Amino acid sequence: MRLLFILGEIGSGLRRNLSMVISVVLVTFVSLTFVGAAGMLQMQINQMKGFWYDKVQVAVFLCNDGSTAVGCASGSATKEQQANLQAMLESPAVKPYINDFQFESQAEAYKHFKEQFSNSPIVDSVSEDQLPASFRINMKNPEKYEIISETFSSQPGVETVSDQRQVLERIFSWMNGASVAAIGVAAVMIFCAVLLITTTIRLSAFSRRRETGIMRLVGASKMVIQLPFILEGVIAAVVGALLASVTLWLMAHFWLNGDLSRQFLNTPFISSTQVLVIAPVLVALGAGLAGISSLLTLRRYLKV
Amino acid sequence: MIRFENVTKVYEQNARPALDSVSLEINRGEFTFLVGASGSGKSTFLRLILKEDKASSGSVYVAGQNVANISSWRVPKLRRGIGVVFQDFRLLPQKNVFANVAFAMQVIGKSRSIIRETVPEVLKTVGLEGKERRMPHELSGGEQQRVAIARAVVNRPGILLADEPTGNLDPITSMGIMGVLDKINQNGTTVVMATHDDDIVNEMRRRVVELKNGKVIRDEAKALYTSMIPVVGESRRLRDASGEELNRAQGAQL
Ligand SMILES: Nc1ncnc2c1ncn2[C@@H]1O[C@H](COP(=O)(O)OP(=O)(O)O)[C@@H](O)[C@H]1O
Ligand SMILES: [Mg+2]
Repeated sequence: MRLLFILGEIGSGLRRNLSMVISVVLVTFVSLTFVGAAGMLQMQINQMKGFWYDKVQVAVFLCNDGSTAVGCASGSATKEQQANLQAMLESPAVKPYINDFQFESQAEAYKHFKEQFSNSPIVDSVSEDQLPASFRINMKNPEKYEIISETFSSQPGVETVSDQRQVLERIFSWMNGASVAAIGVAAVMIFCAVLLITTTIRLSAFSRRRETGIMRLVGASKMVIQLPFILEGVIAAVVGALLASVTLWLMAHFWLNGDLSRQFLNTPFISSTQVLVIAPVLVALGAGLAGISSLLTLRRYLKV
Repeated sequence: MIRFENVTKVYEQNARPALDSVSLEINRGEFTFLVGASGSGKSTFLRLILKEDKASSGSVYVAGQNVANISSWRVPKLRRGIGVVFQDFRLLPQKNVFANVAFAMQVIGKSRSIIRETVPEVLKTVGLEGKERRMPHELSGGEQQRVAIARAVVNRPGILLADEPTGNLDPITSMGIMGVLDKINQNGTTVVMATHDDDIVNEMRRRVVELKNGKVIRDEAKALYTSMIPVVGESRRLRDASGEELNRAQGAQL
């Protein structure tokens, strides 16, 4: 009986404040979407780190015909220069720092390039001798990149030494920045959501002060009086959280695993199923925020 | 049933107290009028019984329990034992008569079958049988107050507090309401009614407690709205109230 009664009260409260309830739903929806997006970015970063970190290498690019670096004054790298570099890699000064290394010839480089950009017109404008041959070095400790760089960059026949990990780090730091920005937007939006929930509950309590006054006088418990209001806020916030979850899932399903993964074949994107892990967090966050802010509001504006 | 021991209530510091060291006992089953001019402290007296307000000093006992010692989560239980009606009825305008009375039972978790059984009984007691489906705006003032009384007593409280229940009603309708309150009192409910309607008090001849500026200046059994003893000055009145007259009144009661 009491449960039915409370449900009825919630229903009438939601109907009476429909426009406010809708705005609470929308604001929590937007704010939690940003929270979720930040979460997704972090998941994506971890996914890419796991995938790339043991694959990335330090590459020592050899000179080719078009090279302009100081070490390439004599034109394309010779067989002797290449053998010399290989000897250095196997020397006791360098060997302890590396796991292994491979030589990638110009022909192999062209093959990889074609694979990577298979659906891009850029392939047609690049020929085999434009691409440099390289030594691909797998470091024991990627942090020790400086040692390889210092040793090899001034050698004859070497155009440049590049640390692929640095390129990735730049991407990751960009993604980190984006997720911090998303959190920032989320924080502002959550603040709005809390204010809006507070106002909604206050209006709701005001428009029903006659009922609650009578409830108080006939000895209704605090819970029976307050619960309809609290649940009103919580239900609106949970609907917002569910909308946010659906939006994120759609984003992961149709964008990350659709368009983006077709464009970036080598990039491991998080799956839409992984995104579902975020949903309960968002729902709990929405419900918690709404519950706490309604409770605090009621303490001030609803005498029991 | 209700006992005030040296109760003082100060709302705002350095304003005069709304109640000034009031000591009073109201017994089970008694019908008591609380009279006095506006601002004399009648409503404050009733609010202290409900624990709507806290006494600044002194103790209020309801059914033997000091209300100051009732923790906030047990206050609803105290209030279930007390019915209240007001001058302005306080009905829910979008609920019909039956629903207004049933509301008081729903919110404390009474089952539907008990509600269906009890509400018509109570409506009969207050003289509203056949009007269950009416909306409040389809009722006269007197009928609305009867609904409010029905709601106040539907959970069978031991005490009924009425704060100027006839304040908005004409004399004849008021007498009808008094009949209802009297009937409820005959059934064993302790009734405390604040009023400044002299005709009613004179008609009913019940105990009268008179407040002035927060002080009890008269407490007489089977009394009239104004004391029958000629009053020369306030000091005389006070002495009478605290001494002889009280004794005489109690003697008359026996
Ligand atoms: N909530 C309140 N805040 C401040 N003063 C109040 C409050 N309620 C009553 N008072 C003051 O207490 C005094 C007694 O008021 P009240 O008990 O309402 O008298 P009555 O019901 O006899 O008219 C009055 O002077 C009134 O102004
Ligand atoms: Mg009053």
